Amino acid sequence: MSARPVSAVADRVCPLLKRESLGGSYVLLTFEHPEVARAQAGQFAMIQPEAETDLILRRPFSIMDTDPEAGHFTVFLKAVGPGSKAVFDLREGQGARVLGPLGHGFTPPSPGERAHLVGGGYGVAPFALFSRSLKGAFGPFHLFYGGRSAAELPLVAELERRGITLTLATDDGSRGEKGRVTAPLVKALDRDRGPARLYACGPEAMMFAVAKIAEERGLPCEVSLDPWMGCGVGTCLGCVVKIQEPDETKPKNRPACTEGPVFDSKRVVWPH
Amino acid sequence: MTGPLSLGVEIGSLKLKNPLLAASGTCGYGVEIAHVVDLSTLGGIVTKGLYMSARDGCDVPRIAETPAGLLNAIGLQGVGIRAFVEKVLPQLRAFDTAVIVNVCGETVEEYAEVSRIASDAPGIHALEVNISCPNVKTGGIAFGTDPVMTHEVVAAVRKASRLPVIPKLSPNVTDIRVFARACEEAGADAISCVNTFLGLAIDVETRKPKLAFGTGGLSGPAIRPLAVRMTWQAARAVKIPIIGIGGIASANDALEFFIAGARAVQVGTMNFSRPTVYTEIEAGVVDYLKRHQLSGINELTGTIRYPGL
Repeated sequence: MSARPVSAVADRVCPLLKRESLGGSYVLLTFEHPEVARAQAGQFAMIQPEAETDLILRRPFSIMDTDPEAGHFTVFLKAVGPGSKAVFDLREGQGARVLGPLGHGFTPPSPGERAHLVGGGYGVAPFALFSRSLKGAFGPFHLFYGGRSAAELPLVAELERRGITLTLATDDGSRGEKGRVTAPLVKALDRDRGPARLYACGPEAMMFAVAKIAEERGLPCEVSLDPWMGCGVGTCLGCVVKIQEPDETKPKNRPACTEGPVFDSKRVVWPH
Repeated sequence: MTGPLSLGVEIGSLKLKNPLLAASGTCGYGVEIAHVVDLSTLGGIVTKGLYMSARDGCDVPRIAETPAGLLNAIGLQGVGIRAFVEKVLPQLRAFDTAVIVNVCGETVEEYAEVSRIASDAPGIHALEVNISCPNVKTGGIAFGTDPVMTHEVVAAVRKASRLPVIPKLSPNVTDIRVFARACEEAGADAISCVNTFLGLAIDVETRKPKLAFGTGGLSGPAIRPLAVRMTWQAARAVKIPIIGIGGIASANDALEFFIAGARAVQVGTMNFSRPTVYTEIEAGVVDYLKRHQLSGINELTGTIRYPGL
């Protein structure tokens, strides 16, 4: 992991400032939280509504955007289960318990390296923030965004609004190229054989495919893993992933919340 | 009121500045949460269970949320007692809080050996004996659901250590009083009451358990009335102090345990989502003691107005 300074972590009850529906079960939520507003791309926050319910655990959400000056941050979420649904249902002005920023984010590319970002479904969210830091300080980058259908690429307009050039792919061809998002990635890598670094966030099969492409071509690659998380600070040990350290004989269970969620893809032992 | 208000309590020779402890398995080794919680606001922390060697624990999924509860099968993943003493303990000593080591073993001898190493390390204040983990294949709950084995383990730890010995009981027994008495007779200084309840959650689509281990231990507010009842039963069965545990999320919850017979309490599952809950609990307990003109926890412990059956 890089030695970039990690901002302070804070547990706050903070108001939902803005709720923007992206249709269906997708929404953008902006909260006031000065510490999370200084998050690095790839970091996350644990969030639950302030009002107590039968649900105990917070849920992890990756940071999609920040405004450090205003002290705001935005998450993109899809309501999938009761925990994310409870956050989805928050109204502007209501409070949430927010702990963050947590975890290790993406390592920026080295000078001269082209960055290839590959996002699948709602896993594309952290690449909005990452793109901004790449645009400001680093070399060229490209964002590949794939999903099952056009309806499952809910962030296209948001990303384009930020001036990010996208290459889209859908399984059914309803938007962008028909097929897997890794196909245009391979084409791009074939076209430009210079130094490159890959980043993937999305379904496990997609991240595994990107990791394999990186391995075959000897390129560095980072993946953002998304196991079921309980606490976000390394104490419940619910979110462990199998990690192989180069100096150890066998893989070990390591908490994704504190040692990830972004890992060097070569260290990940994929369950395939 | 008989004197100035104090939250301090004594558990045998263990002096706690307040009766609020972080439960084993919910606060790591303490240092992990020090950037979120001011550890010196706690009476003490109970470490994640420690064996002689490091363990890698169960496969995932390890946790599943249930109504007002959390089902877990972590499998006592941990660094082992030696690594804890050498690498973690020096950092923990910087905090003004009691350090209670949760002692595990696959055999009676292993419990004794871990206890011996812990006793020789400066900065450990007591031992909690884990005879109740439901998520390991050997040891754990096997020692805590047979009163003869409970006695044997506790006696062995007692012999191996000068520190206060606090067995943590399993609720997965018919009569917890039998186990409380076995601990007292074996020389325990106090009893932690209780560990998680054995549970099973099923994914109906796949018809498989939601946890990779199969069954798991249930914790959280869902178990609170069960744990309060067992604290009440254990407190009436023995003279040694009881540390109440089970779904505490507020001052009111902690007060229930004190009134049922607990001298201190542990907060477990709520550490995962509300790590700063201790401040609220402490303020609420202080307010209650003032309103009821009590000078400390001891005047509240076991004052339930119910003779029982």
